[in-house]
Amino acid sequence: MDHLAHVSNLRSSQSQTQISHLALDIGGSLIKLVYFCRYDDSCRDDGDELRSQNDSLCSKSDNNQPVLEGRLHFAKFETSKINDCLDFLRSMKLCLGVNSGSHDGTAPPSDKIFIKATGGGAYKFADLFKEKLGVSLDKEDEMECLVTGANFLLKAVHQEAFTYLDGQKEFVQIDPNDLYPYLLVNIGSGVSMIKVDGDGKFERVSGTSLGGGTFWGLGRLLTKCKNFDELLELSHQGNNRIVDMLVGDIYGGTDYAKIGLSSTTIASSFGKAISDSKELEDYQPEDVSRSLLRMISNNIGQISYLNALRFGLKRIFFAGFFIRGHAYTMDTISVAVNFWSKGEAKAMFLRHEGFLGALGAFMSYEKQCLDGLMVHKMQQKFPISASSAGDNIYCSLSSNSDENGSIECTVYGT
Amino acid sequence: MAGLNGDPILGIDDKIEDLQYKNNNNSNEVVDKEELVGIGEESTTCYKSNQGGEKDMAGSSIHRSGSRPQLDLSKAEIQGNSEERDPTILLPNQSDDISHLALDIGGSLIKLIYFSRHEDQSVEDKRKKTVKERLGISNGNRRSYPVLGGRLHFVKFETSKLNECLDFISSKQLHCGRIDSHHWNSETPANENAVIKATGGGAYKFADLFKERLGVSIEKEDEMDCLVAGANFLLKAIRHEAFTHMEGHKEFVQIDHNDLYPYLLVNIGSGVSIIKVDGDGKFQRVSGTNVGGGTYWGLGRLLTKCNSFDELLELSQRGDNGTIDMLVGDIYGGMDYSKIGLSASTIASSFGKAISDKKELEDYRPEDISLSLLRMISYNIGQISYLNALRFGLKRIFFGGFFIRGHAYTMDTISFAVQFWSQGEAQAMFLRHEGYLGALGAFMSYQKHGLDDLMVHHLVERFPMGAPYTGGKIHGPPLGDLNEKISWMEKFVQKGTEITAPVPMAPPGTTGLGGFEVPSSRGATLRSDASALNVGVLHLVPTLEVFPLLTNPKMYEPNTIDLSDHKELEYWFTVLSEHLPDLVDKAVASEGGIDDAKRRGDAFARAFSAHLARLMEEPAAYGKLMEEPAAYGKLGLANLLELREECLREFQFHDAYRSIKQRENEASLAVLPDLLLELDHMDEGTRLLTLIEGVLAANIFDWGSRACVDLYHKGTIIEIYRMSRNKMQRPWRANDFDIFKERMLGSEGKKPKPHKRALLFVDNSGADVVLGMLPLARELLRRGTEVVLVANSLPALNDVTAMELPDIVAEAAKHCDILRRAAEAGGLLVDAMTNTLDGLKGNSSSVPLMVVENGCGSPCIDLRQVSSELAAAAKNADLVILEGMGRALHTNFNARFKCEALKLAMVKNQRLAEKLIKGNIYDCVCRYESAPAS
Repeated sequence: MDHLAHVSNLRSSQSQTQISHLALDIGGSLIKLVYFCRYDDSCRDDGDELRSQNDSLCSKSDNNQPVLEGRLHFAKFETSKINDCLDFLRSMKLCLGVNSGSHDGTAPPSDKIFIKATGGGAYKFADLFKEKLGVSLDKEDEMECLVTGANFLLKAVHQEAFTYLDGQKEFVQIDPNDLYPYLLVNIGSGVSMIKVDGDGKFERVSGTSLGGGTFWGLGRLLTKCKNFDELLELSHQGNNRIVDMLVGDIYGGTDYAKIGLSSTTIASSFGKAISDSKELEDYQPEDVSRSLLRMISNNIGQISYLNALRFGLKRIFFAGFFIRGHAYTMDTISVAVNFWSKGEAKAMFLRHEGFLGALGAFMSYEKQCLDGLMVHKMQQKFPISASSAGDNIYCSLSSNSDENGSIECTVYGT
Repeated sequence: MAGLNGDPILGIDDKIEDLQYKNNNNSNEVVDKEELVGIGEESTTCYKSNQGGEKDMAGSSIHRSGSRPQLDLSKAEIQGNSEERDPTILLPNQSDDISHLALDIGGSLIKLIYFSRHEDQSVEDKRKKTVKERLGISNGNRRSYPVLGGRLHFVKFETSKLNECLDFISSKQLHCGRIDSHHWNSETPANENAVIKATGGGAYKFADLFKERLGVSIEKEDEMDCLVAGANFLLKAIRHEAFTHMEGHKEFVQIDHNDLYPYLLVNIGSGVSIIKVDGDGKFQRVSGTNVGGGTYWGLGRLLTKCNSFDELLELSQRGDNGTIDMLVGDIYGGMDYSKIGLSASTIASSFGKAISDKKELEDYRPEDISLSLLRMISYNIGQISYLNALRFGLKRIFFGGFFIRGHAYTMDTISFAVQFWSQGEAQAMFLRHEGYLGALGAFMSYQKHGLDDLMVHHLVERFPMGAPYTGGKIHGPPLGDLNEKISWMEKFVQKGTEITAPVPMAPPGTTGLGGFEVPSSRGATLRSDASALNVGVLHLVPTLEVFPLLTNPKMYEPNTIDLSDHKELEYWFTVLSEHLPDLVDKAVASEGGIDDAKRRGDAFARAFSAHLARLMEEPAAYGKLMEEPAAYGKLGLANLLELREECLREFQFHDAYRSIKQRENEASLAVLPDLLLELDHMDEGTRLLTLIEGVLAANIFDWGSRACVDLYHKGTIIEIYRMSRNKMQRPWRANDFDIFKERMLGSEGKKPKPHKRALLFVDNSGADVVLGMLPLARELLRRGTEVVLVANSLPALNDVTAMELPDIVAEAAKHCDILRRAAEAGGLLVDAMTNTLDGLKGNSSSVPLMVVENGCGSPCIDLRQVSSELAAAAKNADLVILEGMGRALHTNFNARFKCEALKLAMVKNQRLAEKLIKGNIYDCVCRYESAPAS
């Protein structure tokens, strides 16, 4: 992950902005950041009439007051490189004005500063943040944040969800009034499966330990790749048939038609690796990576479908940093859901897949400050903005996220 | 190859002729073939004479048409249902010429099942014939299934070593239809059209190779069909096939046949198939996963350089997955995420810690990697299985397939996953023959052997020693003959110190629910070659039946003492171990003490010790180690003693106590006339008491009892008998004599009706049967009661066998009219045999004295599995007398009968005396139970 480039990128834009709110999601492998930059006056001259006005973010305000204008930024760091993250935060002076009691623009004493944070690291690294940055982490429940983030995205962001099958990406228009219930599958290091019934109404129904961490961890051991993205990249060029035992391998090239297994169905992941004649070095890292990716994606797809079935859920949204917009990953998951549900259930993906938790943590400020008004306003305003500005922004977003591992987004409200 | 070597097979055409011949003769002798209990498979030589007889019958060939010999048999089976005297008797022979081999050729392993016939044994023909006539058994027609007695063997090979498998088949001539006898009839060509049933992908892939190498065609059976058929068969036909395994604790589950369906069958091979089973042949593959045994092994090989699956599995025993898995605690800084019920030790991400930049593959211990992999895959399978069970509302999930291979930790992990996700609603169960479902199913698909009709009491499970190729190990040398078997034992023991030496243990892992914890049973057990000692051979004895006089066969438990109590097991382990040298001496002496016998004796001792050692390991699993926790099924003392006898037979000690028995019989018979004279001078009441005293006193002659063996070295038979009877002072510890006496003799002048027929289960040879049970039998005969002496089919210790009894009775009859007339009437006297056969004349003069075999070869008796002879004899019986520790105390002490029962035994074991009757060694039990009112 090229976060240096990303940081410099942010810096350049920062010249025009003032960062006022920040939330963190510190997972097992990655730290996800969401922060809000106010536009200063020069920025307003952009002439985007769709921006709402409200500078009452942290002051108890009336509905009628104008909405704060600004942009919501997304960034990520590897958890193992948490110091980079701390440096970044220090350099950005992000922490100003965040604590709920403070007045806009004035710096409160540092020991009263709170940052909303979720994920296991919010507990594990609380002391480190205190020590290094002098801020306290206000811990938010991980599942709650995931759900809040997902709900927010699905309701407020145009063309957030899409399906991906056979290389075809197709956006799905979600009716905010017909969103629930759905199954949210968050694939981080591990996988959580959450049945969401409404705002704040959810249950973690399942999960699996075969997740992004497994892909990366096993992948590192097997291929010597240096990072997740490299491993993912390798899988593009791989052929899993070298490593996997296919139905055809067992049946001498024929299908096992009676139970609907074609000869290319994987009978046993890594099943060919039992061969005496080949050692690890004899396998191409590309093939290993591909096989690994298929094993994990397929497994997640299957368990997700089984859980959706259990609760009669037709929609399954996949999110979390494992996916990172990777076509083959999404394809495999989609195929698994499609296969096991016989086309009944559809896998859907989120464009801000990695930031659900961080977004949710971010939203928890608003709950405290704005008594939920905020979401209401956004629901009203967002569709207006989406028609003209939205597409533009997102187009640029996609490319950003690919290049820099971070994405930038405009959000209206607060 | 098959063509050159084909002669020994002969088989099909030959047997057809055989069949025809017998058909015309409406013969009885065919029936006898059914009656046999297993003799060592390798012991062909002992019975050559009989086989020669068969050969004579087999004349020129009649050609069978078509490539599927079994077609002919289906009709025959239907005929078998008729009650006629007619063609059914032929079926056993006919079923004999179907192929006896079935294969399941999977991606990693080849599983092979083959059937070997029990050897024929014609020695007792005459006795049996007479008994049958006496008891009104009509030529075997009572059976509707054409099954031969025999054994099912379980063997496995690695698929990559297919050639070894082909060699094995070829060396045993398994592909040629039959494997026993007829080695000399060289004219008969091998069946060119031989067909072997096979399933699994390899049945397609390797069909040509089989044709080429063995000249046989593979007939492919659907894999799922086979899995289901195999599982259904096992669950219905084998006692204690299924068990649960949680936190290192296994528990056998008795499945009610009528309440078996629906269930979920999860077969974990290279991949995983998940099948919903609704009935025989009714099933659906509802799911599966590609993360299975092949994944474990494949990934494991790449990551650890292990050379075999078992090695990898063994490594996992010593692993700590916490070094490589990312746990909830790692993410939460050591804290639980209790809100959603995840404890700190829950695995959040398998291999999640391996993302660390600081460590490379070489820096991780292979042990940790193996464990992490194992947990990942087991847990995943458990989870997906549970979700599918949930989907169809199934409560029972059976896990089979070679991935599990009885590995405690794997089972614990799967159980845990099912338990965790279902919150205790669903139960994971495992199968002892887990790896052989498909192969069994393929075997079943021959159909015409009637296996599907078999009931649980037809199968006797035994654990032969020469079974490196039948056991848990992937592959061993195909041990052809006894010699190889012995040398294998010798080798085995050299490096087999592993199995008896205590293994250093890892502290038990954390337990408790709330996450994917480390099940507690993880130990450091070595999986040595000792693994080869497990999976038993299934003996098919179609003539076995449930003893009809049991009040509640379903609830009946033969064993009085439950060896799952580890202290009990420990005690009996010691007893058996201490007794072993003496037993070996006797066994070797029985064969003239020659070098060969000594060598076999040693091998036997090692084999049996190895079994014992493995047994001892099992219950130690409570927080300790466990290898293959379910290798033996649920075990009672009866099974343990049977195991010993089986071991002896395995090394061709067919009757270790033969000479001792003979000597004691002679000595006792010599004093019998005096005893009878003495008895005849007594009044009825005194005589009855003396008789019972005599039974109890004579029961001291028991080579199975350590205490008694010590006694033997101090006195002669007669001295001991007298001393013993003098000590028979009443009251006995359990003393129902007065009630029994009242039943026999009545009170206040009322004469009760004598019993119609009494079954006397006899115990030891020598004084026990001659001076104890025979006089009692004589008394019953005198009162007009028919007497059936029930004795072992095969030798066990110094127990008298059904084969020996007629001679003993004949000898005794020389001095006693009562016995003579009764024995004549019962067809026991050789001189009288012709008369009996000619027209059963002269039998009105006395009620008959008969001898039947009980169907077993153990000092104990499991009344769920008795010979059909005994079952028939029981029909008119209204009194059962069980004599001796083995049959009346160790087993059946708590058994309840539909008729009156008398249990007589001297307790020759201090511990048992304390436990059972709160008494002391040499205390006596005389327990009388009247018939339940009905």
